Amino acid sequence: MTAKTKEDIDVKLIKHIQEGLPITKTPYKDIGLALGMSEEEVIQRLKTLLESGKIRRLAASIAHRKIGIDANAMCVWKVPKDQVDKVGKIMAGFEEVTHCYERPTYPDWEYNVFTMIHGYTDAECEAVIQAIRKKTGLQDYVVLYSEKEFKKVGVRI
Amino acid sequence: MILSDTDRKILHRLQSNLPLVPMPFLELSKELDIDEDTIVERIKFMIEKGYVRRLAPIINTQAMGREATLAAIKVPEDRIEEVSSIINEYSGVSHNYLRKGRNKDIPYNMWFTMSAKDDEELHQRLKEIEERTGLTVRSLPTIKKFKIGVRFKIY
Repeated sequence: MTAKTKEDIDVKLIKHIQEGLPITKTPYKDIGLALGMSEEEVIQRLKTLLESGKIRRLAASIAHRKIGIDANAMCVWKVPKDQVDKVGKIMAGFEEVTHCYERPTYPDWEYNVFTMIHGYTDAECEAVIQAIRKKTGLQDYVVLYSEKEFKKVGVRI
Repeated sequence: MILSDTDRKILHRLQSNLPLVPMPFLELSKELDIDEDTIVERIKFMIEKGYVRRLAPIINTQAMGREATLAAIKVPEDRIEEVSSIINEYSGVSHNYLRKGRNKDIPYNMWFTMSAKDDEELHQRLKEIEERTGLTVRSLPTIKKFKIGVRFKIY
């Protein structure tokens, strides 16, 4: 099998299941039946996709607001370039920090490290921000709260 | 909130990988000490009621060869609806929020993520949004990832 056809199979498989696996006792067999693949082949392709990192997880996307985790804060930090690695690791260590990225700056935008914090309450998010400040010594940050959600869907291919 | 302790146990476990074995929920039933029929039934319930959006692969856009960025625009108050509907037309847009600074003012108010099949298409789409809205789009692509793993503590 050539690399190209393997990729085609992966895309076909992901497109078929990206809206959700069948919730049956044998989901991989049922996916295989729909796509003309064996159960074993479906399992093997998914294993490879996970190992290669093309799929981060095969897991549930939770409507966090609906289960009570309805506070979130995007907190952006101005971090000296030579401290980004050290600080990024510290921030990533907090359980409530779900995303932590370094991003570019512009003349009107100097905040280069982005953290997304999720919690059950605003106070919980705020406490995490204060703990990050204490642990990193950073002072220049902005909390961006979402005033309105226009779109929120999972990434599809 | 109508989730039981059993539901919460299932929900917590489902945030990590579903076992890649022929009967994954049977495997979970051993791990969680909840019977397989209950697990299947409760997952269906939680999907139907909207607690779980889906049980599916979480795609790494970049590893799939796609390019993505976080973009920000300063949109005048009276054009917010118009500009947000233009942005939301693009299928590569997965999130779009109006954000404000809590402790400080910030120069942009609309924040969205966009992915495309490659860098060229990504920039083409951002340029198109600039042309259609007459506003400047700031692209803030990831330079380095320290963490990406939306798992929540479920009490």
